Amino acid sequence: MSEQSREQFDIVIETDLSLATDEYADENLQYLDEHGVRAVDILGSVGSGKTSLVIEIIKRLKDRMRIAVIAGDITTRIDADRIQEQGVPVLQIQTGGMCHLDPELVREATARLDVDDLDLLLIENVGNLICPGAFPLGTHVRLVVVSVTEGPYMALKHPGIFNQCQVAVVNKIDLAEAMEVSVGQLVADLLTVNPRLAVVATNLRTGEGVDGVIEALGL
Amino acid sequence: MHDIQRARGIVDVVLAAAEREGAERIDSIDLSVGALTFLSPDQLGFWVREMLKGTIGEGAQVVIETLPARLRCAECGFEGEAAIEDDPIYHFTTLTPGCPECGAAQVEIIGGRECVVESLRATRRTD
Repeated sequence: MSEQSREQFDIVIETDLSLATDEYADENLQYLDEHGVRAVDILGSVGSGKTSLVIEIIKRLKDRMRIAVIAGDITTRIDADRIQEQGVPVLQIQTGGMCHLDPELVREATARLDVDDLDLLLIENVGNLICPGAFPLGTHVRLVVVSVTEGPYMALKHPGIFNQCQVAVVNKIDLAEAMEVSVGQLVADLLTVNPRLAVVATNLRTGEGVDGVIEALGL
Repeated sequence: MHDIQRARGIVDVVLAAAEREGAERIDSIDLSVGALTFLSPDQLGFWVREMLKGTIGEGAQVVIETLPARLRCAECGFEGEAAIEDDPIYHFTTLTPGCPECGAAQVEIIGGRECVVESLRATRRTD
């Protein structure tokens, strides 16, 4: 077969893959709205206190709201088991290495929940301060937890994720002095990166500040 | 890790289009990737080429154009590229908070999150 019997040609595709993910997110939000469920995406580094925050929120709200949790992790059920002790349904999504939850995974998980028997869905994202910010899941609010043990520069080093969230929690303030981190400066940095953020300082070991988080979430 | 997920999506779209159009071989692939996607062109290109191995796309050139972060300001109506602060601490940032014209905080991101498979150049038999 000679090259003469072949031709080069162009195929125009113009498919935006980010739209596909966003469509899933929009559908998730619509589905949750139809069933009267308010959803919160909880982001933050590994070990920042996301699971502790989820537990503290549940403790304070479970008497007046029906709550379920989706917990995303690379592997294990450790988070799910901790949360389940609070007596609310928990679905663990093991991403098997993927660094963030995506709206398709959340849709599959949500389909396994009884949404008609639910007021609040807390989604604990994979511990990671980078790419989860780029993948909205279709929640009403996005909250990011940052702790003083991560050092003083987290807000300035990861502006992407703080731009994508409406609420920021500064956790482990009881350790600020030992870490030589100024909570005031961290809060100021967060507001520099995103002036619209509602910022709440917490010590999730004692529960200090959790009421402020609940208020910031409008719950 | 999400480079791999996006690369998988790109390869699926590319191979489906090439097969639908009767391509025998894919010569090049044009992609546009937004500055706010956290996708590195080097990593993305690597994974796309890697996943095309063993397919009609093996050896195709992967060309990636970066699309700028774009904002719309609710205050002054500015619509355009976000300012980029020239400071090493903002290495991974493309977005300076607020409107580059009036400084208002109420800005909406209108561009920079794209991951577009624009087009392919392919070869097919004519007989």
